[in-house]
Amino acid sequence: MSFTSIQFLIFFPAVTILYFVIPQKARWAWLLAASYYFFMSWNPYYAILLAVSTVVTWTSGLLIGREDLRKRPNTVRRKKIWVALSVFVNIGILVVFKYLDFFCGLYAEILHIFGISAQAVQFDLLLPVGISFYTFQALSYTVDVYRGDIKPEKNLGKYALFVSFFPQLVAGPIEKSKDLLPQFDEVHTFDYDRARKGLLLMLWGYFQKTAVADRLATLVNTVYNSPQKYSGLEVAVATVFFAFQIYCDFAGYSNIAIGAAQVMGFRLTKNFDKPYFSKSIKEFWRRWHITLGAWFRDYLYIPLGGNRCSKWRHCLNLMIVFAVCGLWHGAAMTFVIWGLLHGVYQVIGLLTRPAKQRAEQKLGIRENSFPVRLYRAAATFVLVDFAWIFFRANSLWDATVLIGNLFRFNPAALWNGSLFSLGLAAPDFWAALLGIAAVTAADLLSRRRDLRQSLLNRGPVCRWAVYIAGTMVILIFGIYGPLQSPSQFIYFQF
Amino acid sequence: MVKKAIWKSCLFLVIIGTILAAFSPLFTYKIDHRGKLLQGLYKSDDTYDVVLMGSSHMNGGIDPNVLWHEYGISSFNYATGGQPIDVTYYLLKEVLKKHKNPLVVVDVYYLGMTDPYGVSGFVSNALDNVHFSLNKVQAIHNCVPFDERLFYYFPMLKYHFRWSSLTQKDFTYDSASVYYAKGFGAGTSHYGKQDISYANTQKKDAIPPKTLSYLNKIIGLSKKENFPLLLINLPCDYTDSNKEDGWVNDCEAMFNTVADVAEKNGVAFLDLCDRMDEIGLDFSQDMNNAGHLNIWGAVKTSDYLGKYLKENYSLSDHRSESAYAQWNEDYKKSQAASVAGG
Repeated sequence: MSFTSIQFLIFFPAVTILYFVIPQKARWAWLLAASYYFFMSWNPYYAILLAVSTVVTWTSGLLIGREDLRKRPNTVRRKKIWVALSVFVNIGILVVFKYLDFFCGLYAEILHIFGISAQAVQFDLLLPVGISFYTFQALSYTVDVYRGDIKPEKNLGKYALFVSFFPQLVAGPIEKSKDLLPQFDEVHTFDYDRARKGLLLMLWGYFQKTAVADRLATLVNTVYNSPQKYSGLEVAVATVFFAFQIYCDFAGYSNIAIGAAQVMGFRLTKNFDKPYFSKSIKEFWRRWHITLGAWFRDYLYIPLGGNRCSKWRHCLNLMIVFAVCGLWHGAAMTFVIWGLLHGVYQVIGLLTRPAKQRAEQKLGIRENSFPVRLYRAAATFVLVDFAWIFFRANSLWDATVLIGNLFRFNPAALWNGSLFSLGLAAPDFWAALLGIAAVTAADLLSRRRDLRQSLLNRGPVCRWAVYIAGTMVILIFGIYGPLQSPSQFIYFQF
Repeated sequence: MVKKAIWKSCLFLVIIGTILAAFSPLFTYKIDHRGKLLQGLYKSDDTYDVVLMGSSHMNGGIDPNVLWHEYGISSFNYATGGQPIDVTYYLLKEVLKKHKNPLVVVDVYYLGMTDPYGVSGFVSNALDNVHFSLNKVQAIHNCVPFDERLFYYFPMLKYHFRWSSLTQKDFTYDSASVYYAKGFGAGTSHYGKQDISYANTQKKDAIPPKTLSYLNKIIGLSKKENFPLLLINLPCDYTDSNKEDGWVNDCEAMFNTVADVAEKNGVAFLDLCDRMDEIGLDFSQDMNNAGHLNIWGAVKTSDYLGKYLKENYSLSDHRSESAYAQWNEDYKKSQAASVAGG
């Protein structure tokens, strides 16, 4: 059941109304049942894997907690064993369902390099939606209990709800147990203003997804599915469009998730914070997919030593984290290269920082001046967008073809109409650009003020005009319905 | 607080629903099916002694202008391409709101459909042009899969992408411009092949459960509303239909069962596939394709049907009535259009 399906538009109000109607004691059970129903609507068998991850991490938490109470001489070692077992089982499931074919193929190719002929075994297991998201969320609980950041949850049902909470189950935000678990014990009463804010965020998410991302996808798919046919401007436009497609697709999903949770009284973590205004790659990763970045920082980067080590070790840590980050996004070399590219960007930034600072000092460049900030934001966008080529390309070969074609200059595309033959006719092309402009303007304005609160402070005529106009814009310009082909949320596959 | 939220949510939905309902006609495709249904169901004041219902076989098979010119029968062809029999039932109920006790001629080709629902585009061509009523709600509920129903209540949701291709015709559409054809529309090609599927078989095959239930509903309606009912099967080569997914494997055998059901219920059934020689049809020249008559075949078949109706039902000749003065002009216009098309 996708957020953009009619089923969800019935499911969500029904679940929310009943949530506030039933007694407090039963609410977590109701949400748990609703969440499993939501998840099983894709494929009932997925629920088995979700339940296994849940039971394993919950049990590991209890066992770690018991070790703390017993205070036996080798407590730390025993705790580490429980953590290792939990990690082994969960990552094992993830590897089997997501990476087995990839690793088998890689193994066969390595053998081939050494002149050994081997046929890669293909398992073709069905990838459960959201497996990377809920596996990471569940694993973080085990580690948090180990670190003493949170006490073990004794109620299996409430813990199962933490892992499966439907708004963020299949594509995040990836919540930390200390932030979300206690919220299931809170008493939520219906709050009209909170519900309005949540619904407004959902409305914005639907606009981002259906009116912007899915329209951009048409042109992006045309170019990226036939890379040899297009060059220069066409590839550049498609690549810029993809930058906004993936942003609007994923941020749209996150906003619907956060808004839906907010209507019911739950606070989910912000997942995107104007990422394309970042002035460095480092800053980009503080603004893009914030909860995944935090996960890698807390559970991989810092345990590896983070930046409190030699410069070379720091660089290695960055490369490891971004390689794993790439692999997390998909079982293909394109994703690994995308991740490594971001690692390389950061390493180069790190190594050249002293020279850059000296040069700026000598030239008297003021770091906070508008031209410098604009230049840095533009340069960061170009670097990020270049890396997106690997992320979106169907294969490494396609990516190299696209990059090669990118430098085949064809300015005539600007006036000979070829830009309007990439799946979006002129009106739809301009609508796509307007969508990008709207999203960028909203990001720009939200740097100084809370746009939702500003709207809610206005009079009823203005508010209702925005509600109705916003809804009609989505209904008219959105890509949905039986005669159009809406895209699945991109991050569902991760 | 909760009451306020519920009240405001309802108000919001009503406003959005009203806007969608108001703009749906603008976004709906302005095809001839729309024009004829709006005219035949709501706009025209003419009275019809015969109403023709069904799928594309009927749409392009029986020409009301021929029935008028040759026999003075006033009729209207409500058939639309790909119209499943369940849609035909609800469309007939809509027709009966305005026309009391006409002779109803129903094309039964779609009794062969085994899929639970018809092709969305074909169902839309009929239901999108029916005004909102309890009958429309029941039609959508029974003829459309659950996850598509909202798009039928508010067709703008289905056609919203047309915002970029709306033309002046969408804003100024006049359904009266197609009324002269009285709902008839046939092709002008020659199939060029003989019927290879016909077999004078006594074999009988079951009618699929859903379509059988709607056949029984139509028969029940004829008894309840007291109108004469004639079931009709128009000339067709079943070779492709018999192989098609979502269709019975032996149409001939199924129509033998239809004959039994009709006889059991005291309803007339005219299988024109068995009477092509009597009609004088040359399958290769008088068919547009394997399943549809062309305009020349339709003239012969309409003439045959008109004669059959005159002989078997008491139908008045309206040709000299002043209320139908325009029909002679419409006939001329339809002939001119046919000649132009042919």
